[in-house]
Amino acid sequence: MSVLQNFVSGLNVSALLMVAALGLVVIFGLMKVINMAHGELIMIGAYMTYGTTTVLAWPFAAGMFMAFLSTAWIGIMMERLILKKLYAKPTETLLATYAISLMLERVIYFFYGAETKFVAMPIPGLLEIGGITMPYYNMFIILFSLLLLFFTLYLFKYTNFGKKVRAITQNRMMSACLGIETANVDTWTFGYGAGLAGLAGALLAPVISVTPGLGAPYLTESFMTVVVGGVQSVIGTALGSVIIGEMRTVLGGFTNTVMAKIIVFVIIIIVIRFKPEGLFVTERR
Amino acid sequence: MKKSKRVLALLALLVMLASLTACGSSAANSGPASGGSGKTEGEKIKIGILFSSSGTTAGVEQAMINASKMAFDEINAQGGIAGHQVEYIHEDYASDPATATKKIQKLIQQDEVLATVGCYTSASRQATLPTLLEENSLLVYPTYTEGEEVHPNVIYIGAMPNQQATDYIPWLIENEGKTAFLVGSDYVFPKTCNKQAKILIEKFGGQVVGEEYAPLGSSDFAAIVTKIKQAKPDFIYSDLVGDSIVAFYKEYKQQGLKPEDCPIASIATDEMINKAMGNEYAAGHYTSMNYFETLETPENKAFVDAYYAKFKDGSTITTLTEAAYDSCYFLKAAIEKAGYPCSTEDLIAAFAGLEMDAPQGKIKVDEENHCTWLYSRFAKCNADGIFAVIYESESAIRPEPWPQVVYPELGGKLPAKPY
Repeated sequence: MSVLQNFVSGLNVSALLMVAALGLVVIFGLMKVINMAHGELIMIGAYMTYGTTTVLAWPFAAGMFMAFLSTAWIGIMMERLILKKLYAKPTETLLATYAISLMLERVIYFFYGAETKFVAMPIPGLLEIGGITMPYYNMFIILFSLLLLFFTLYLFKYTNFGKKVRAITQNRMMSACLGIETANVDTWTFGYGAGLAGLAGALLAPVISVTPGLGAPYLTESFMTVVVGGVQSVIGTALGSVIIGEMRTVLGGFTNTVMAKIIVFVIIIIVIRFKPEGLFVTERR
Repeated sequence: MKKSKRVLALLALLVMLASLTACGSSAANSGPASGGSGKTEGEKIKIGILFSSSGTTAGVEQAMINASKMAFDEINAQGGIAGHQVEYIHEDYASDPATATKKIQKLIQQDEVLATVGCYTSASRQATLPTLLEENSLLVYPTYTEGEEVHPNVIYIGAMPNQQATDYIPWLIENEGKTAFLVGSDYVFPKTCNKQAKILIEKFGGQVVGEEYAPLGSSDFAAIVTKIKQAKPDFIYSDLVGDSIVAFYKEYKQQGLKPEDCPIASIATDEMINKAMGNEYAAGHYTSMNYFETLETPENKAFVDAYYAKFKDGSTITTLTEAAYDSCYFLKAAIEKAGYPCSTEDLIAAFAGLEMDAPQGKIKVDEENHCTWLYSRFAKCNADGIFAVIYESESAIRPEPWPQVVYPELGGKLPAKPY
């Protein structure tokens, strides 16, 4: 029974991981930029939710919307003002985004202080079937993350914008020659990826403590998810998050939380050793 | 070749960035140590205040900075210490132990402080110890801590584990039930406290039905709460710290656990954390501390009123705030007893047996072990998020850095090597 319960709880952990990692993979897939500020964008999403739902007392949905908009805007500014100049220089972009992450954290410290902020639970209560429990809010997180996954897949598979993105991913030079405004596509993709980070922050805000340092652990976890799933694959990232989230909770049930974390790391190292491109990446010529 | 150069450059830059965030300004220069200082009449007494105003623990430490400044301002308004005004120098160690080392060096070597009130985490305190020993200076440390350390250059004003648990655990077993589940953060404070908690639980006829640790700062408690639901304990004994507390209390309620069936009995959930997590999560759970903001003593009312009149920065008074305030007054009393100017040895010796009427009641520094006799109290958080005190000891109880129940062979005395 506890295995089943942990599996059910693990779905929620996986869903949160997936939303956090999606933004990272969207940005990396197109632009080969490793966004070190991703964790801080998650954090800003959480603070935006705090500002909207606690300070302004607007509904939670408005908080999510504001979190998406504000982080997408920050992402667009980051790309326009800084990353564009560092085009195709992976080390420099890594540094630049790391510097931005430190600045964003400082800015939040400056305006909000270091103490924990309170965000109310938007959907209280839980469902219980045969001894297995699931909070309604966790169900919402799972449904919403699936919705987000399908929307992202649709966006990149079937829309005009998505076709441009995929063309650029395959051959940037050729796409530019054919008249695709690659710079604009980069900006909007970065904005979308950053916005997803903000949404992850909004979803996390009611269940954890909102502090300026909350993003850092999620950066590491998002990276692990992306590495396991495959750095270019949205579906791979989704599956990677389920693997990591479930392993953590189910193994945590058998041993303990600290041990589970260690085992997950070891498994990830083994995966990288034998399948460096990730588990769910199909070979492409 | 080119690539490795690039990696090196990257590393160098990363290190620079990291150090940029770590230390605010002054790099400690290791100039000549302050020699025997011939202080004259009317000269100011310099005292260091070493707490973080940036970094992860700044939220907690802000109130400690406030309380220290308030204490010294009051002391100055009352004529200072033995006729000397106090000049306090605040340094921010940015929640980083390595920075704490630099800042204590700066305070001792450059500012030539007589003593320092400061440090919040055990890690930051430990980072200052070699400097304190080498420079022969004094640290008055206000945080409740895990014990098993008595350093010759430190006076411990915060609670030792026995002062939080010896009265608490028997009460919990009698009133909540015999089975306990221990939950803690995975580092030295909870593990050391739980050693004692386990012995106490069994001594009073209880039973430990589970013991789980979460990585420091972790906010994922799904697996742990599932284990608790299976073990069905009568109460949860928690020494979780920091952000993990909020995440755990939220997951507890989310998963349908209720304080009526299985309350959380904490030794680290204070007024500030209750405020951060919201009344619906905090209500019905217990906390053991020496001091609560709601105490009705005249000293405490004066303290609380003065604090909130002076500081409107949204900070909350907790046991740590009161301990920081008490530390400053103990330091004043010790300087007066030793007579200013005084050597560090005389100053430390002067602490032994000092008494004061603190906001929490009459407390005193132990004659032998550098720790402080404090009250044992525990409270239940009510629906308005306020701690209602349900027990307090008749008088301050003796600190045992090495609790007798864990180390019966020491009989409450210090071991041969106490740090």
